[in-house]
Amino acid sequence: MTNTFPGYLRRDGRVGVRNHVLVLGINGLAGAATRRIGAAVRATVTVATPYGRGQIGPDAAIHRRQLVGLASNPNVAGALLVGVDRKALDSIASEVAATGTMVETVALDDVHEDSQALTARGIALAARLVRRASDDRRQDCPLGALRIGVECGHSDATSGLAANPLVGRVADRIVDHGGTIILGETLEWLGAEHLLARRAATPEIARAVTDAVARREAYPASLGIDLLGNNPGEENIRGGLSTIEEKSLGAVAKGGSRPVEGVLGHGEPPAGQGLFVMDGPGYSPESITGFVAAGAQLVLFTTGPGNSYCSAVAPTIKISAHPKTAAHLPEQIDFDGSAIIAGAAHAGDVAERLLDHVMATASGRLTWGEILGEGDEVFLRLGPSL
Amino acid sequence: MCDALALHRLDDVAVALRAVARGETVRIEGEQATCVTASAEIPMGHKIALRGVAAGADVRKYGEIIGMARMAIAAGDHVHVHNLVSRRGKRT
Repeated sequence: MTNTFPGYLRRDGRVGVRNHVLVLGINGLAGAATRRIGAAVRATVTVATPYGRGQIGPDAAIHRRQLVGLASNPNVAGALLVGVDRKALDSIASEVAATGTMVETVALDDVHEDSQALTARGIALAARLVRRASDDRRQDCPLGALRIGVECGHSDATSGLAANPLVGRVADRIVDHGGTIILGETLEWLGAEHLLARRAATPEIARAVTDAVARREAYPASLGIDLLGNNPGEENIRGGLSTIEEKSLGAVAKGGSRPVEGVLGHGEPPAGQGLFVMDGPGYSPESITGFVAAGAQLVLFTTGPGNSYCSAVAPTIKISAHPKTAAHLPEQIDFDGSAIIAGAAHAGDVAERLLDHVMATASGRLTWGEILGEGDEVFLRLGPSL
Repeated sequence: MCDALALHRLDDVAVALRAVARGETVRIEGEQATCVTASAEIPMGHKIALRGVAAGADVRKYGEIIGMARMAIAAGDHVHVHNLVSRRGKRT
């Protein structure tokens, strides 16, 4: 394996694996116009938050962090921000522009609340961004620039047995090359948190891991709700997983075996390289948006029976080790790891093939989810609207 | 290919790599090598007990505790939500 891959080198040294123009609605009031703009301009990716008003405190802060993070993801060459009021738009635009990303903005304020005029103006601005971005070329970039989110959704026994350890082996290789891995879903550390804490780079990080799990475990209990009714879910139980501890012990294998360098907040970019854990939701769409807002250019997503969800901004590689899943879903599963379950291949050899697949995807190979338009982003809320 | 995989030498359960019928002799490989007779049908990916576990005792997979036995479990039993329960995430 070489230490470089053809990527898009950004002005501040970040590296994209795609060269998207993102049409980003920052307020639900402009959501429909945002989608009209995205549909009208070829070669754009559209994300529109349903929220954006009446949010306060941590809820407002995390919403903003997700918007800024998505627009400044290294896969984004340029972003058109679509909003309501000029002040909110300019505030977010200046933060995104500071990363070197091309930014244009259009606000309902500017067009006397006329969403048709907003659409027309937005189409023109998005078209110009696409033209400018089309001059960017791939060039050799260091493998260490990769930041990869690792996720599982609709897990079964083959996830913990083969698919997640497979991703863990690739995670170790990426970390050893100076790259970064982000493992999320705090609830799925429950029962395995002592293993993560043992690998923490400092005692403070170990404590942060166990504290995050304790908070997550206490929340449903404080509402008088038994966690067992919620997780493991129906698909998990059908697949043979009986308890959250069992699911977690399989899930954390995705993070590999390297030291845990820090506990991130949802959507918070890691300050260094290596393995980081993100204290975030167990709902895959929200979890993945947290990774992508933190700058992940790729997502490795394991599943037992299948799961079509992908990030809109970061290519999402679907991996299953269930012997039947890849055959049932040939245009969903990007990588079939079932040879491990069949005893037909050594896990180390399959991991090398997966690493090759990851590098090919980073270099431009499309995922099934990209080809079929399965991508989306889902925003985490931390409180009710006022 | 074996019928079920034991992931750790401390484990009380193995994972069936194929669907196992009731009464079948199941060949276990991996970190423990043994044979048990399945007392129930065990779907692929589900767990089979390698040894008896007393009611209320820990059940191990991956060498770690995955919950406790809700009732006495015998070698060869299907181990799942009917006889295995989480120790965590309980209502206070």
